[in-house]
Amino acid sequence: MNTPTLLLVFFAACGAGIPLSLAVRPARQGFVLAGLGCLAAVAAVAAGIEGLLTGVVFTQPLWSLPGLTTLTLRLDPLSAAFVLVTGLVLFPASIYAGGELIRESAPRHKRAFTVMLLALYASIVLILIAGDALLFLLAWEVMSILCYLLVVSAPGEENGQVGSAYLLLAMGEAGTLAAAVGFLLLALGASSLQFDALKSGASALGASARGGVFLLTFFGFGVKAGLVPVNSWLQRAYAAAPRAFAPVLAGATLNLGLYGILRVNADLLPVAQAGLGLVALIVGTVSALLGILYATTDNDLKAMLAHSSIENVGIVVAGYGAGMVFVATNHPALAAMAFLAALYHLINHSLFKTLLFFGVGAVETQTGTRDMDRLGGLIKWMPLTALGFLAGTLSIAALPPFNGFVSEWLTLQVMLRSAELSSAGAKIVFASCGAVLALTAALAVTCFVKVFAMSFLGMRRLDVERRVNETEPAALASMTILAVLCLAFGVLPTYVIPMLDPASRQLAGASASDGLVPPFFASAPAHDTLPVAFVAEFHDLGAQVGQHIVGGRGLVVLHRGGVENPVVFAMSTSYMLLTLIGLLLVTYLVIRLWLTRTRKLARRERWDGGVRRLLPEMTYTATGFSNPVRVIFDAIFRPTTVEDTSETVAEHFRMAIRREKERVHLVDRLVFQPVSSATLWFAHSLAAMHHGRINTYVTYAFLALLIVFAVLPAY
Amino acid sequence: MNHADLKEQIERRWPGDTQVGRDILSSTTEVTCTRAVLADLCRCIFQDWGFSFAGLIVEEGPSAWQLRYAFYGERDAGWVHVVVSAPVAENVFPSVVEWIHAADWHEREAEDLFGVHFAGHPHLGDFVLHDDAWQENVQPMRRGFDAQAAMRHRLPDADWRPRRIVQEPGAFVMPVGPKFSGVTESVHFLLETVGEDVIRSSTRLFYKWRAIEKLAEGKTVDEVLLLAERFAATTAFAHGLAFCQAVERVSGAELPARARALRVFLAELERLRQHAGAIQEICESTALVVANSQAGMLEEELLRVSGELTGHRYLFGLLAPGGLLCDLPTDACRKAFTQSQDILKRLNELERRLSISSSFLDRIEDVGVVRLSAATDYSLVGPVARASGLVRDLRRAQPYSGYETFDYQVPSEQEGDGYARLRVLFAEARQSVRIIEQATAVLKEGEVCRTVKFRPGAALGWVEAPRGGTFHWVRLGEGGRVARYRVVTPSFINWHSFHLAAEKFAFQDFPIILSTFDLSVAENDR
Amino acid sequence: MSQWVIKGIRTGIKTTAYPRGAERAAGVTPGLPRGGDVGAAAPALVERCLTHALEQTNGAISVDSRRCVHCYRCVRGVGQPLNWEATYEWGGAIATPGLKNELAQPFRHSIHVLVVDAGDCGACLNEVKQLNNPYYNMHRLGFFITPTPRHADVLLVVGPVTDQMRFALKKMHEAMPTPKRVVAVGACALSGGVFAKSFVCGNGVADVLPVDVEVPGHPPPPLAILHGLLVAVGRKRPLPLPAARDEPV
Repeated sequence: MNTPTLLLVFFAACGAGIPLSLAVRPARQGFVLAGLGCLAAVAAVAAGIEGLLTGVVFTQPLWSLPGLTTLTLRLDPLSAAFVLVTGLVLFPASIYAGGELIRESAPRHKRAFTVMLLALYASIVLILIAGDALLFLLAWEVMSILCYLLVVSAPGEENGQVGSAYLLLAMGEAGTLAAAVGFLLLALGASSLQFDALKSGASALGASARGGVFLLTFFGFGVKAGLVPVNSWLQRAYAAAPRAFAPVLAGATLNLGLYGILRVNADLLPVAQAGLGLVALIVGTVSALLGILYATTDNDLKAMLAHSSIENVGIVVAGYGAGMVFVATNHPALAAMAFLAALYHLINHSLFKTLLFFGVGAVETQTGTRDMDRLGGLIKWMPLTALGFLAGTLSIAALPPFNGFVSEWLTLQVMLRSAELSSAGAKIVFASCGAVLALTAALAVTCFVKVFAMSFLGMRRLDVERRVNETEPAALASMTILAVLCLAFGVLPTYVIPMLDPASRQLAGASASDGLVPPFFASAPAHDTLPVAFVAEFHDLGAQVGQHIVGGRGLVVLHRGGVENPVVFAMSTSYMLLTLIGLLLVTYLVIRLWLTRTRKLARRERWDGGVRRLLPEMTYTATGFSNPVRVIFDAIFRPTTVEDTSETVAEHFRMAIRREKERVHLVDRLVFQPVSSATLWFAHSLAAMHHGRINTYVTYAFLALLIVFAVLPAY
Repeated sequence: MNHADLKEQIERRWPGDTQVGRDILSSTTEVTCTRAVLADLCRCIFQDWGFSFAGLIVEEGPSAWQLRYAFYGERDAGWVHVVVSAPVAENVFPSVVEWIHAADWHEREAEDLFGVHFAGHPHLGDFVLHDDAWQENVQPMRRGFDAQAAMRHRLPDADWRPRRIVQEPGAFVMPVGPKFSGVTESVHFLLETVGEDVIRSSTRLFYKWRAIEKLAEGKTVDEVLLLAERFAATTAFAHGLAFCQAVERVSGAELPARARALRVFLAELERLRQHAGAIQEICESTALVVANSQAGMLEEELLRVSGELTGHRYLFGLLAPGGLLCDLPTDACRKAFTQSQDILKRLNELERRLSISSSFLDRIEDVGVVRLSAATDYSLVGPVARASGLVRDLRRAQPYSGYETFDYQVPSEQEGDGYARLRVLFAEARQSVRIIEQATAVLKEGEVCRTVKFRPGAALGWVEAPRGGTFHWVRLGEGGRVARYRVVTPSFINWHSFHLAAEKFAFQDFPIILSTFDLSVAENDR
Repeated sequence: MSQWVIKGIRTGIKTTAYPRGAERAAGVTPGLPRGGDVGAAAPALVERCLTHALEQTNGAISVDSRRCVHCYRCVRGVGQPLNWEATYEWGGAIATPGLKNELAQPFRHSIHVLVVDAGDCGACLNEVKQLNNPYYNMHRLGFFITPTPRHADVLLVVGPVTDQMRFALKKMHEAMPTPKRVVAVGACALSGGVFAKSFVCGNGVADVLPVDVEVPGHPPPPLAILHGLLVAVGRKRPLPLPAARDEPV
């Protein structure tokens, strides 16, 4: 199937949502959503793969608007990569959303939800395949509005929902406005708004215009992506989004912001000053650190995932920054590696974040709460959900052999490769950012150990009367699909990297897979290009193991430094998985066949210091587990004491000690609240104009007329 | 307040409700009062006149309850016993905890063991008899309860919950014990926390309750002396001495001079050894390994000195009512003194080294602070109290066994933190050796025991034990048998205040604060 | 910090020669009464023992060392004192045919000991604590103290087992993996001491757990406890113990 057909199928499936949802009863809307959504997602995946594999750029002009531009569709490798990940996410998300709709008993809004969600799919892909700025922005607006409508579509599910949704819309519009101005600046030197024209005209722009375009689009699209300091909407909107929509919000729409940044600043107008790239790197790193700090200390499962998204976006943008610096300093091979690492992490994040949102939704449905301090021991009642959630947790904590490990490894290796840069200042920035990223990786492990342990392991803290069942099959199916994908993307990096290579080649001008996946296998086409000595060296280390079983370039990800820095970084999650399985098998056999011959296995109650009864309230809570992080980073959190009283009788008998602290997000404190209070103050002072005296209003009108008559002759 | 003025003051303020009697020999003013004025009278004695609260002694007579509140002051003030009675059927008394917080645990213990209710006490129950282990309505100290009857062992109660005070999101209760750490006594802590600091510390004691007060009833004086020595054997001599002094006071016995001097000698030797042990515990808790070894060696050497001199490392089997069970040769005493002097030299060197180890001081300075006001409210005793500035050493305030003839100082500090308590321990060790020297010097040939004829009656015996003041109340019945034996130990008094020091500090400081208090669970639990 | 290192080195080696040689310093042990022939004074002596540790047949006194609480009434204040021996190797095991009281060969040179206080007065626990000071240094013999039963091979119990500690003690024993042995230390742990038998104390650890090695004494000195542990790992031969008497104290 060729690309146009696949795209047609996609849009047809999305469009068919309207007539089908009207025709089918509300109770069965879920099937419509799941069916059409899956069909659309499959088409998207196929289109993405086709676009990446063939490397052919598909363009299709649609309508011509005289004086402005021609609305064009364009699917190049960069778009294809994003379309692929969108499809991968939307497939299980449709199943999950469909399941949610079927399970919910309230009939209202189901038809509207189906139509809107399918329309959202269409708008997302339309953004990704837009070939000119106007279609891009139009589709972006539609997407923004649909996001808002979908967040408020399930009233009553969340407090402050409408407020959070409004903030999403308002900040999103501000970002869109900035991005639109950026596009206009970019179009100053171009003949039309089509991307081809913009790209060729970009070289005519001066340094200040370039800087302006970068900052406007970086922070404009950064709003959608969730970068610090424009992320205030994200944690609120994610927490407020209904269970059926939140995965799509996190897995698909987040990527659009990242796409926008990449499209403008790496494709249309590649960054020429290393300083701008360093800005991106620093912003990304700071976002990553703040995101994970707030994630570690948050007890609400959904809000925690939102902060974790900010962290992962920060890592992706840090990769962008590195790539931009390498492009600006003329290191195309390293730039390709950086962009590939960023794209890989983007895909991985979509996969495991969506998976985690499914898990959180399942937990919330079954237990009625999202507060980790009130959960615990769920693995006994929801073992399959726990298994899926565990896959997501291991991936996001970057533990091998899952996918998070691969992309984190690649990102950190890119940071290390900054040794090739000539500027000492840039190297210092890279080193510091690399160190902070390593810190965020460690904090991420802490955070997700806490999440999994407090929710699923340990003692049950919920009321004894509440019945907790396993999740329904739809949710389990969607979790399984993504868990398998997480494992696949983790264990087969040597196949994913060549697949994503065209996208990074488009951005950096060099091949990433050449630098990352040497063709060790004899059957690989490029095998002869490798130096013989090199192959022989690694042959002894087992780099050719498996060449007779699977095809491809090899199973080892290996990067060699340059002539000045002849280092070798190598990793193979494929071998790791096999070794892991082997070791587990050997351990199992040793225990089964040998140890249990002479010894008996005895099961005893957990040791608890000899207390008469260990109660759930005697076990660590999520707050307690993350308290050290709160204490160490107190300068960032700066909690304010809301209450700290103790009730005593007769001076020494304490009856109650009440303590409560409030934490306001650092960005809210430093950016959002000052801006909103300044705006309110400005509005209030302007309101002084509206005092109600007719005479003054007439004077205003007279003054306005005077100004018009004064200015008009100048024209 | 001079004891001469006491009688006049009390009779003036509560004319109809009180009756004041005086016992010159034990310098005790006994005030019998009604339930109506009990709280006011006690408040006045404790707060206005500055007496310390020793303890509450509950006795169940054949037809009436007798509650005795014992207070002690400086030497010229003496003792004040406030006695209140009520028929057995009416077992409700007013609580005095609003003014005397030190009476808190005494009232709780009386309620658990006797079923006496104290109106106005905010929190009775679940004290000696753990709610999750004991059946309801069991009052072991009542007359009708058979001490030899085997109790039906109950499975732990499924509905029991710890009493929680902290209301903060994410707060939980961390249980420590009863088995924790390496070689520690069995005690259970419930630490309310949100993760790093202890917000509230609650101690669950009496896992080691052996009910010696009940076991003593009906036994001979000699048998009860064995109990007195062995319920808290790290300070066996002090407790045995307090018991013997109570019995001797009841029977009006006079002791020979050599016995008195030897008793002082042995009591100070025990104090020296116990303080060395406490210093070793502090060094161990801060993980200062070499100091721990050095202090451990000093404690072992003092144990060997005790063993060589008396045959037993913990000074068992030396006491008898009327003096000592056997004589100790003066040469042996001099040798023990020389050995103690040598050990003291090394103890002083240890103190000097510790005072310049900044990592050690970091862990005990400004940690576990007990203020003077709290020490007074809780009527604390011993080095813990003296480190906070509350100085009422029984050897000086209410001298016994001839202590008034010795020349020594009572060291004290003001800060009330762990380092202050450590300094007090070292200083008291020095004073102990000083007293040992003087006691050895005054030893003259003579008898060490005069047989005592036991008379029915009751009296209080008190000793400044190494951990603080201990008070033994003994009532003898016919035939030299003990009718009631009430023991108030320094650990019982000081455990009450431990939570003040532990709260608001981190988990890592908890064992260190505990070690600086030198508390004994066995002494508290009896 | 270097002051401690220098001080430690200068202090030298203070550790006792036991078990390779005998320890002869004064004050290391209170000794235990040994029976003997006292002729006509026997009934009076038996009367003086308040814990009924002495039994006499025709003037020959036998001692149940489990019950001796070191009150010295049989030596002090009597005309003909009982014979005492200043020994310290008191660890005994009940000689039941077919039952091994010591741990198997792999544990001979290294065990982990869980010390449980089941109501002791503080003296036995203090003597156990002395095992870690330089004079005894149990680490050189391969004995280590662990706070968790999951790692423990030997359960060392002190105290008469009060009612409120019973459940916890049983829990600890159950939580230990096999092979495990129980060493009861002190007269209270063996016979209840002066506290048995009452509504809160039984007749010692044997009421609750199967005891493998018994170390009498009140308290047994550190050397005796070491001997008991060495018996538990089979490096020393145990003293044969008579069967415990059932009569109440």
